[in-house]
Amino acid sequence: MRAVVRHGGDLVRQVLTWALVLALSFPLFWLISTALRPDTELFVRPPHLLPRTYTVDNFSKLLFETPFLTYFRNSAIVAISTTAFVIVIAVFAAYSLSRFRGRFSAVVERMILITYLLPSVVIFLPIYLMLSRMGLANSLPGLVVAYTTFALPFAIWLLRSFVDSVPVEIELAAMVDGASRLGAFVDVVLPQLLPGIISTALFTAILSWNEYLYALILTNSDAVKTLPPGVMTLLTSSYHIEWGLLMAASVMMSAPVILAFAFLQKHLTRGFGAGAVKG
Amino acid sequence: MASITVSGLGKEYVRGTSAVADLNLEVAEGEFLTLLGPSGCGKSTTLRMLAGLETPTSGEIRFNGRVVNDLTPAERNIAMVFQNYALYPHMSVRENIEYPLKKRGVDRAERRRRSAAVAQLLQIEPLLDRKPRNLSGGQQQRVALGRALIREPEVFLLDEPLSNLDAKLRSYMRAELIELHRRVRATMVYVTHDQLEAMTMSDRIAIFDGGRLQQVGTPDEVYNHPANRTVAAFIGTPAMNFLDGEIAPEGGAPVVRSGSIAIPIEAGRTGASLGRRVAIGLRAEAIRITEGGVPARIEIVEPTGHEAIVTVSVDGRRLVTRTAPDSGFRVGDSVGLGFDARRLHLFDAATGDTLG
Repeated sequence: MRAVVRHGGDLVRQVLTWALVLALSFPLFWLISTALRPDTELFVRPPHLLPRTYTVDNFSKLLFETPFLTYFRNSAIVAISTTAFVIVIAVFAAYSLSRFRGRFSAVVERMILITYLLPSVVIFLPIYLMLSRMGLANSLPGLVVAYTTFALPFAIWLLRSFVDSVPVEIELAAMVDGASRLGAFVDVVLPQLLPGIISTALFTAILSWNEYLYALILTNSDAVKTLPPGVMTLLTSSYHIEWGLLMAASVMMSAPVILAFAFLQKHLTRGFGAGAVKG
Repeated sequence: MASITVSGLGKEYVRGTSAVADLNLEVAEGEFLTLLGPSGCGKSTTLRMLAGLETPTSGEIRFNGRVVNDLTPAERNIAMVFQNYALYPHMSVRENIEYPLKKRGVDRAERRRRSAAVAQLLQIEPLLDRKPRNLSGGQQQRVALGRALIREPEVFLLDEPLSNLDAKLRSYMRAELIELHRRVRATMVYVTHDQLEAMTMSDRIAIFDGGRLQQVGTPDEVYNHPANRTVAAFIGTPAMNFLDGEIAPEGGAPVVRSGSIAIPIEAGRTGASLGRRVAIGLRAEAIRITEGGVPARIEIVEPTGHEAIVTVSVDGRRLVTRTAPDSGFRVGDSVGLGFDARRLHLFDAATGDTLG
């Protein structure tokens, strides 16, 4: 009897879970479905759940008749460079905040957090002025610098908690065993930080991939536009929105993010530091 | 193997407060020396200075006569076992054990040969391909020992290596460590707050309190001839009884008197001058429950199986003694106490120094 009850509970939970999954994934499904149908089918009533005729016209038009690929390339360059900078700086910053405690450590930590709390609209003017004085306005390096400053505070805080969780004794042990301080860091600390580095990298990459406001303000030529402002200006005007193209662009913009999550998700959840010391 | 000479060693984390002050210590080649003391007494700081993980504020450390103050941990050729084992979690047991050799550029075949030998010595061969998280506490402990042993270092430093183990495993590993030391005859410096570990394992014990070395001696010396009241209070279970007293004459011979208790002082004890205020130290085995003697009352009886720890009160002051387990005393019984004058310890009331 009890087994049956428990089974029943499981069933209810399963049904609810799947209902939720379906509800949440419907917009994604509708996105793909719209991207794959011809313009004539866009506004039929009642709407078709699936296209009557499938077409890749939207995609080929997007790829070959618009600067979409340039935007895509720019977004990729900005996301990858930003992530690389942020990870390298944040790993070392987090390590020193965690391991070298000095009189001003707490002050430095709080200041890092405060910079993160400032809304980006508040600082876009000073950032714009600084970048243009450095000759970096309307350029990809300019965007990389801007995004690095946004992502860094949070990245440092995130990684710091990972460094804190690595017992300092394993570093000391490595130093006694013949490693230099840097060697101990590379040999025994860095591997423990891998899940933290992956989550921080994902966070940073997604932030810079999706960023709209600064990309819109800091870039104005097609050669250096990234996807979010690029696609918006390309496919919408005050007269007309090219829904099919917009959906195709959205599919292609989302794909890298979804793929990254699919492949890296197991690293995000994997336990770290387990077994280093007795708990 | 190396001898260690420590002279004038000091460490201040915050200016003006010493974690370790003016430490002078010799460790002979192949000796097992234990640094013993309550937490915060400076023993772990001393060990870390020996390892090169802390920089001394003053003084010198020499291995085989050579000053090592400015050498990195890696250059000192030491091995260290940490309280929480500090195994590298992402490496297998074999990789953990071979890591010190790898850092010294020993080739793979030689590493394999030596890790196999160490694994055999410690009986951890079946564990070589496992990760540390899949090992029990005792197994992790052996792996940590293996990583220390593989390099044949000059000095072994062990920082409370048994304190994370349960009581049964701890006594087993204690015996294993004694056996291991006998076999490898390495110089070992062992830190613990557990006096039982110190008494059973050490050639000599260095007792610390408040950042200062109180006494260095064999287990017998520190138990029977403590240098001061601090050492006497720290060593021994149950702890030594202390009473305030005064040296007084009685029938021509000096006695030490404390309330109704008077214990004759043996001839030749020069420190016991008449009228001097002292602290009387009596171990449980120096107090006998007898017919007659000083009247006392039984307060607590704690049988341990092979003996009973009995707490008695003498005019309001409590003393702890030990008796046979079947002596049949009950709480509230009126008894008499006798004192063993040969086991009487006297300390200066003000300084706590032992009086000869």
